[in-house]
Amino acid sequence: MAETSAPYSVEEVRIKIGGQAGFGIKASGQMLARAFVSAGLNTFDLTEYPSLIRGGHNVFGVRVGPEPVPSQVEPVDVLVALNQETIDLHLDELGDGAAVIFDPSEAEGPAGARGVPVPLDEFAETAGAKIMRNTVALGAVLALLDFPMEPLEESVRRQFSHKKPEVADGNVEAARAGYEHVREHSPEPVRRLVPVAGAAPQLLIDGNSAVGLGALAAGIGFYAAYPMTPATSLLHFMAAHERDRGVVVKHAEDELAAMNMVVGASFTGTRAMCGTSGGGFALMTEAFGLAGVAESAVVVMVSQRPGPATGLPTWTEQADLRMVIHAAQGEFPRVILAPGDHTQCFEFAWRAFDLADRLQTPVVLMLDNYLSENRASVPVLDTGAVTVDRGDIVTAGHVGEGYLRYRVTDDGVSTRAVPGVRGALQLTNSYDHDEYGFANEDAAMRDAQEEKRMRKLALARGLVPPPLVEGADDASVGLIVWGSTTMPARQALEWLAMEGVPARMLQVTTLEPFPADAVVRFIEGTPRTMVVEGNMTGQLESLIREHCLLEPDDSLRRYDGRPLAPEGILERAKEVASRA
Amino acid sequence: MPSLKDFEESVKRPTWCPGCGNYAMWRALKHALERLGLDFHEFVVVWGIGCHGNGADFLRCQGFHALHGRSLPVATGIALTNPELKVIVEAGDGDAYGLGLGHFVHSTRRNVDMTLIAHNNQIYGLTTGQVSPTSDHLMKTVSTPSGVLEWPVNPTGLAIAQEATFVARGFAGDIEQLTDLYVAAIEHPGFAVVDVFQPCVTWNKVNTFKWFRERVYKLEEKEGYDPTDREAAFVESLSTFHDLVCTPDECRVPTGVFLRIEGEETYQEGLEQLDGPMWRKAEAPRDVTAVMDEYLT
Ligand SMILES: Cc1ncc(C[n+]2csc(CCOP(=O)(O)OP(=O)(O)O)c2C)c(N)n1
Ligand code: SF4
Repeated sequence: MAETSAPYSVEEVRIKIGGQAGFGIKASGQMLARAFVSAGLNTFDLTEYPSLIRGGHNVFGVRVGPEPVPSQVEPVDVLVALNQETIDLHLDELGDGAAVIFDPSEAEGPAGARGVPVPLDEFAETAGAKIMRNTVALGAVLALLDFPMEPLEESVRRQFSHKKPEVADGNVEAARAGYEHVREHSPEPVRRLVPVAGAAPQLLIDGNSAVGLGALAAGIGFYAAYPMTPATSLLHFMAAHERDRGVVVKHAEDELAAMNMVVGASFTGTRAMCGTSGGGFALMTEAFGLAGVAESAVVVMVSQRPGPATGLPTWTEQADLRMVIHAAQGEFPRVILAPGDHTQCFEFAWRAFDLADRLQTPVVLMLDNYLSENRASVPVLDTGAVTVDRGDIVTAGHVGEGYLRYRVTDDGVSTRAVPGVRGALQLTNSYDHDEYGFANEDAAMRDAQEEKRMRKLALARGLVPPPLVEGADDASVGLIVWGSTTMPARQALEWLAMEGVPARMLQVTTLEPFPADAVVRFIEGTPRTMVVEGNMTGQLESLIREHCLLEPDDSLRRYDGRPLAPEGILERAKEVASRA
Repeated sequence: MPSLKDFEESVKRPTWCPGCGNYAMWRALKHALERLGLDFHEFVVVWGIGCHGNGADFLRCQGFHALHGRSLPVATGIALTNPELKVIVEAGDGDAYGLGLGHFVHSTRRNVDMTLIAHNNQIYGLTTGQVSPTSDHLMKTVSTPSGVLEWPVNPTGLAIAQEATFVARGFAGDIEQLTDLYVAAIEHPGFAVVDVFQPCVTWNKVNTFKWFRERVYKLEEKEGYDPTDREAAFVESLSTFHDLVCTPDECRVPTGVFLRIEGEETYQEGLEQLDGPMWRKAEAPRDVTAVMDEYLT
């Protein structure tokens, strides 16, 4: 039985499907999640997989309920064990009344828990092919939840709509076989999950796709990348839409090329972006600095995974914040945004392009595997809110006599006239330079240009997303988080309220320039605060010390490749709140 | 249209060492631009870092002085987002064939419509005379006092082998030929490589103007040479592999157009979505409803 505890809702269900990698576990799980969301429910999924194409243990977990589900939780109500290993590995996660679906021809069933034997292989073969065994299991899951079959049938048909109709028919038959079998032989439901009639339609989306939608909405014209988990799916997203939405997408020879290409594309006035993980960003570093001194409007997504070096490619961590803050030699302004959920991924992505254009300096979106790759149900994105503010740019016509690309201005931003505009003579330069752009080593000019660039940080402060506070005004404990940890922290916050511990949360959405004033207000206005983040050394916490000269009361850090668990946050927050 | 003088207006006077091969290349580029009749807003020049790159300060144009070794990807980003611009890249041999070798090879197989002019002085000029990827075998330099143990990179050979559609070699001792080569390269639709022997009078005491004068000949004067024959071009490119002590009779250095293949699709032509400058895609928010609907359940 699960060791952790929290005031789990009895209206929701946690399902986990485990088996060998390479057998479509994630695809099956997503089919199930879509069935739930289309029935008006909310889901949050979490995939765990090794860095292998085949072999190794794969797990897809989905949490589903009638109310919004901010993150994964630990206990499992229905475990689908596609092999014996799954039972051995996950038996101790089972919650009260949980059941384990297994094929008696392949596994022995759970000792000390309710086993629901279903002849997965046999039913799959009858339906058409052994590969449909996952679908048989999905039917069995629904029967254990006393949930109607129609949403799953629809989801199955949609999943296989691009294949021959026999494939969808076979899968529907497979799902029904599993469903009927459980109704007949193991009719006691684990829990009753009820569709929500008339709920507003929702999206089921992963963080990278939400970033991609934001970039598309913002008018991106060029995307370059070199594949690296967990940023790769953004490259796939962009490539899939290169023609129908008009984006030049380049899978470059390496990340150095990708970043330099993006700087070149930005030079022509194109909204340009690249995406990578920490290792790729390390290679982009020099060109990231080029974007700083050249005053290029570029957007970079850095989706983190545990490092150093190749690290744990398919797991998650928030340990690249310091690298991104300090990346590249010298000093130049940069903006770092960290969306904390899927909706923010969309919003921060399109805002990143406005910021890059307004400030003419690189803007980084920081995600991690947890947010990039996992899906959640979210309300339809607010595309109507999207703006395109290109800042001080001239893209056509004539810019007038005496144009100076790097004119020293009060706010640090100079008119950016792109090639093709008459009079746009300039030298966009990696050397420090004079106002035209010619290399210049004069001490006063260096000061003027360095200070001009840095003034953009002050301008940035008024433009970037402010930190977000959620929770009780009279909180006894305050959580401080950034990025994806917002999701489990938000869950912990709900639970704290249910347990009568007033709590609140500060999500630092913009890490650079650091919102010191708001963080100071939060810390000083909350009796106890703790910083929760996914790294070992406390990178956000060190920024708080550096910028606020304040010491949070406690911290909770995780760096084993797994996202922070809301249960762990709840437990620690209660403990911190109880301190006198 | 701008004339020679206009390209020099209000820029700095060149600071290259007296006698440096870069002067001739600088002149040839201005002549070529003038002859092509390109207006200022119609072309972009991208430089890498090195002595050659200092030329960025000596030419009035829409310019971009990029990082060491990374001029090609910056130029690629420009070329793939504005098909209305002619893109010219000036790189050093360390720049293009050392740090940037990967970008060089990938650019040739990509056939992006742009021109690379490589200042090949077979030495690192700006950083005071270290070995370069094109230095001759056994050459002694400050970083290889016992002689280079590697064999030089063969840029024309690499480009020819890697599906380039225009490969030429020039010599800074012949401005007229250089100008012709530049014009042909810039006019060529596709990736055009012009590797130019550019004697560094300060650090390379072997491959001097005199050394080259005694050895160069023009491919076009070679009987029966057919620049559309990739295999023949490759054989010619192997002639670069001379060693330090070869006599003028033993090592002859061909110049001119090695290879010119017309009618190959450029990378840009393969991009349906590149229907004009890509900044136009950001004139207003893009409608993403249909894309978002794919995620609707
Ligand atoms: C990443 C990086 N490494 C090293 C340097 C230092 N550096 C500047 S130019 C140069 C080599 C110059 O040689 P080449 O490219 O042949 O150009 P040349 O000066 O001969 O024209 C080096 C090593 C640099 N600017 N950046
Ligand atoms: S060091 Fe060599 S390449 Fe550089 S300017 Fe002097 S002669 Fe020319």
